[in-house]
Amino acid sequence: MPKVIKAKINGILLRVPEGTTILEAAEKVQVKIPTLCKHPDLTASAGCGICIVRIKGTAKMLRACSTPIEEGMEIITHDPEIVEIRRTVIELILSNHPNDCLKCGRNNNCELQKLTADFGIRQESFPQFLKNLPTDNSTNTITLEPPKCILCGRCVEVCQNGQDVWALSFLERGIKTRISPAGEIQLADSPCVRCGQCSNHCPTGAIVEKDHTGKVWEALLDPDKFCVVQIAPAVRVAIGEAFGFPVGTNLTRKMYAVLRRLGFKAVFDTSFAADVTIMEEASEFEERFINNKKPLPLITSCCPSWVDFMEKFHGDMIEHFSSCKSPHEILGVLSKTYYARKNNIDPAKIFMVSIMPCTSKKYEISRSDEMFASGYQDIDVALTTRELSRMIKQSGLDFNHLPEEECDSILGEYAGAGVIFGATGGVMEAALRTANYFITGNELERVDFDAVRGLKGVKEAEIEIAGKKVKIAIAHGLGNVEYVINKVREAKKNNKEMPWHFIEVMACPGGCVGGGGQPYNVTDELRIKRAEGLYKEDKTKEIRCSHQNPYIKRIYEEFLEKPLSEKSEKLLHTAYKSRPTYRK
Amino acid sequence: MDKLTPEAIDRIFKQNRQQSANWIKVGMSTCGIAAGADEVYATLVEEIKKRNIQVTVKKCGCLGMCHAEPLVEVCVDGMPTVIYGRVNKEIAVKILDKHVNSKALLNDYIFDLETK
Amino acid sequence: MFKKTILLKDTSFSPEDKTRDVFTRCLDYLREKQLEQDIQVVRVADSGVYGQGLVMKVLPDATLYVNLKDEDVTRVIDAAAQNKTIEGLALKKAPKQIRIVLRNCGKIDPESLEEYIATGGYVGLKKALLELTPDKVIEEMKKAGLRGRGGAGYPTWMKWKFARQVVADQKFVICNADEGDPGAYMDRSVLEGDPHSVIEGLIIAAYAVGASKGYFYIRAEYPLAVERIQKAIDQANAAGLLGKNILGSAFSLDLEIRLGAGAFVCGEETALIASIEGRRGTPRPRPPYPSVKGLWDKPTVINNVETLSNVSFILLKGSEQFASIGTEKSKGTKVFAVTGKVKNSGLVEVPMGITLREIVYDIGGGTISGKAVKAVQTGGPSGGVIPVDALDTQVDYENLQKLGSIMGSGGMIVMDEEDCMVDIAKFYLGFCVDESCGKCAPCRIGGYQMLEVLKRVANGQAKLEDMTVLRRISQAMQKASLCGLGQTAANPVLSTMKYFESEYKQHIENKKCPAGKCSALSNYAIIQEKCKRCSLCQKNCPVEAIPGSREDGFTIVQEKCIKCGRCLEVCKFKAVSKT
Repeated sequence: MPKVIKAKINGILLRVPEGTTILEAAEKVQVKIPTLCKHPDLTASAGCGICIVRIKGTAKMLRACSTPIEEGMEIITHDPEIVEIRRTVIELILSNHPNDCLKCGRNNNCELQKLTADFGIRQESFPQFLKNLPTDNSTNTITLEPPKCILCGRCVEVCQNGQDVWALSFLERGIKTRISPAGEIQLADSPCVRCGQCSNHCPTGAIVEKDHTGKVWEALLDPDKFCVVQIAPAVRVAIGEAFGFPVGTNLTRKMYAVLRRLGFKAVFDTSFAADVTIMEEASEFEERFINNKKPLPLITSCCPSWVDFMEKFHGDMIEHFSSCKSPHEILGVLSKTYYARKNNIDPAKIFMVSIMPCTSKKYEISRSDEMFASGYQDIDVALTTRELSRMIKQSGLDFNHLPEEECDSILGEYAGAGVIFGATGGVMEAALRTANYFITGNELERVDFDAVRGLKGVKEAEIEIAGKKVKIAIAHGLGNVEYVINKVREAKKNNKEMPWHFIEVMACPGGCVGGGGQPYNVTDELRIKRAEGLYKEDKTKEIRCSHQNPYIKRIYEEFLEKPLSEKSEKLLHTAYKSRPTYRK
Repeated sequence: MDKLTPEAIDRIFKQNRQQSANWIKVGMSTCGIAAGADEVYATLVEEIKKRNIQVTVKKCGCLGMCHAEPLVEVCVDGMPTVIYGRVNKEIAVKILDKHVNSKALLNDYIFDLETK
Repeated sequence: MFKKTILLKDTSFSPEDKTRDVFTRCLDYLREKQLEQDIQVVRVADSGVYGQGLVMKVLPDATLYVNLKDEDVTRVIDAAAQNKTIEGLALKKAPKQIRIVLRNCGKIDPESLEEYIATGGYVGLKKALLELTPDKVIEEMKKAGLRGRGGAGYPTWMKWKFARQVVADQKFVICNADEGDPGAYMDRSVLEGDPHSVIEGLIIAAYAVGASKGYFYIRAEYPLAVERIQKAIDQANAAGLLGKNILGSAFSLDLEIRLGAGAFVCGEETALIASIEGRRGTPRPRPPYPSVKGLWDKPTVINNVETLSNVSFILLKGSEQFASIGTEKSKGTKVFAVTGKVKNSGLVEVPMGITLREIVYDIGGGTISGKAVKAVQTGGPSGGVIPVDALDTQVDYENLQKLGSIMGSGGMIVMDEEDCMVDIAKFYLGFCVDESCGKCAPCRIGGYQMLEVLKRVANGQAKLEDMTVLRRISQAMQKASLCGLGQTAANPVLSTMKYFESEYKQHIENKKCPAGKCSALSNYAIIQEKCKRCSLCQKNCPVEAIPGSREDGFTIVQEKCIKCGRCLEVCKFKAVSKT
């Protein structure tokens, strides 16, 4: 039990656990101290200098975001001097920030803009000077505009200490300080894995997802195009945040409706393809675990940032990777082959759009030749949740009041297993449900695996299949990967028994519900609520295991034959190669 | 060096309290070196050898009189210990010839400042 | 062999130096009295006394005579010959300096451990390890009243005690030798001149707090200091003064040097820690203080070079002797690097409580030019400018702070009437703007914006409202900057605005720089009446801004002139004016 600290904020006595910051403590007495650099998700960098508060009776001011409240402290959170200094600091920041708000990717959703409005800043007290630095669009997933950067350090914190990628860092010093990959290089040549967590945490428009909505509008207007869309599991429980729904509200059927009204001729669900992924991946596991065809552990590969990370930092793990493509790629190739043939549509005319919680998917759609397995680019455009909410607003469709509709068949109907893909541990849980059936031929009595759920950085569990112990591990947030991979590496090196047989990794904390393309202001609380939205749906589904999905059975009968068949391998699987961390 | 014992420290401390005479010290910290103390030191060593004078040349740190570097402190029998400032090669030679050998102080180069 | 030596110097500020005349008369007199074999008279370059007329000093008794009249000269010689002192004429001059930190600098060979021990070196350590408990050592520091010499003056014993109280499997001590204030170099001098005294202090600190690993964080621009500290560490290791079971005690300590890459902010302790850890050298908020959570999150004591040199002295001589020096709240001595327009630039070590006037005039010898002192800057870029009216202030931590400056690491820059206060403020602020790590907005942007305002003032483009802008940003920087660099960066600006407001206003309202320093506000012109048409100015002008010929005369084209002042320097007829 942590010690309890007694202190006063604005004269109100309060008791908080030791280690609570002044900022957190102030919330207990209904004070929300303004800050620009502190994100509830991240360690405070203490950079912006706006959250200053005063120790009563002294001239000294402290940063509320990073100062733990101490026994007997008396804090004043606002007085005329504090407010004046905050205003000065905001104005100083504005003097080094472009004021093209109207044309900015964060217009109306920018933390600096909000503070400026709250402080009623109407004039320019200090002459404006801007950083003359070029925009970095090299990754085609996120756009870095250094002049808009206020150097709050959130992106660096999340990239280095959160994700362990170290693509972004502070360069130079003083007024020349900037955010950039080390050396005079662009992000695409850096270790960046396009997870987009930087864009998700940026308070301003300095890092935003690359907007591809224009391409989609263009295709929707093109009479020659047959526009098809799919939505990823995690999107349905997050998009509501942009329209005032309670966090975690599952809006699957409203999304089908809105997409159809936007002009898509067919609306599919990535969760269906997740069921296909499970059929393939569970079979791969069976091959390795029962038939010893390839080495254990099997490591999941449906997260493109994780794949990129592995290729750059853990190339020696390639043989452990599931060769199965990610669900949206599978849906892409199936729609341009199976669906096209079945409905007599020229696959060249199909324009496939993926609505993803993820910036990395924008990169994945052209990452290798295998992403063109249908003979065309399997996915034409990947949009993030944030981009879709903008498209809905542009269309004028009243999302909140739309009726609910159903998905198009047959690439739509999914088992509960498919939808929990969006939460960390979900892929593992779904795979175990089916792997158990494949190996034993029996159905599970209870399909919920509680041990793989939740936000613990690395989750480990043991389950029994056919009398054999299956040891599993789940890591989410790339910062948690090293521990897992190093254990595997160590066991390999020393020829010891593998610590785990099956490992799931998702690049973003919380899995896809916390993806880099999801709505802003994500915290663990939000991640949990979004995941709950998915687990609830799984619970209410009649069919909860991928192999039980009748449409899955049908697609194998009609088209794919069986998991890991020659056709499956050709269309649904891919290969990996080691890549340099820094591209020259 | 062998490991020191507490007793050895006391012994060195007591033994060396009476400092021997006949030495020349050259300030060889950054300020001195920047002003040319290296050359002065080398000249002194060389000329003493040539003249076969019984005096040792030592390096030391900065006395704080940085405006007057290079500084040379001279202590020889029968003469007051003085500090010469702004010494160059020529003056170094004069110090040996006049001060050390002829026992007469040099005019215009002594800096009689507090250093204790 | 001479019985007596008489040092001679005319110390009056008059342009006619009488030294040589008096010297000749002395020689004549010695010859006349046949004292040539007994007494030698010698002209000195500096007698250590200033503005006191003719000065003679008799050695070996060190009897000092000042303000001598012509007739006194022979009396002094006579008295010396008779081994007498002329009462009433001889001056009792108490020494101004007390050397604790610099006790061995320039005295011993810094590369000789034995010479250091011969002066009492490591005797204090021996006493600490064999006779005192760590708590007793901290108690000694408390009794001595030693405060940190790095700038802020935090009591050393408290730092140690906090670190001692924390229970941890590992603790660290660090010697902060990242000296970076412009004009301050006492730490370099001690590291180079007496490295063992600092190492001994660090070992004692480590013993007191229970650290088993220590670092010297030295800036890489001090290669000689690095070399000498490394040699000294090697010697100490070989002699058993470092390493396992020091001097046979149960205490062990390992020391290592880490080089700073030249960032001023790395002298700030949390940035210094980040730098040693291999991270970008930027500060982090305190608390937690390093004494609780420091290097690699372990309790860490960081002491400055000068502080540690004091520590070894205190253990050698006792806290009482140390505490007998200085003022009530500031004990001991302080080393200042006196530079600028002062005659004797260099290091001085003075007891706390001495006045600035004594330092500048009695030790420093006044200004080189003989012009009046206008102000003294202390504390480097974090300090302030102290006007000449306040020169009688006794130097200690509190008094300097009251004046809007700080003790800082001990830089002291003497300025005369040719120094412009706007220019000085611009220089120091410019330094902080260059050295800002860029992490926090108030320092990064505030400093830049203030510097822009100062540039406008210096260029005559500012408005009176800009003074308010300077004060407003200063307030934000002082209160909202993350570390000491930003919190104090405005001090030079605020103190010059406080004491020299009219000088700012002259720049702003009259577009004039009274000191003639701000080049944009000065104009050079040829005074035709005085000009002899020698064409020297034309030949020396680097930008061909002086057209004309020896027949027609010369003029300066203001649009072309870059105000370098070369024409004024080279003119032999004082025919170039600067307004």
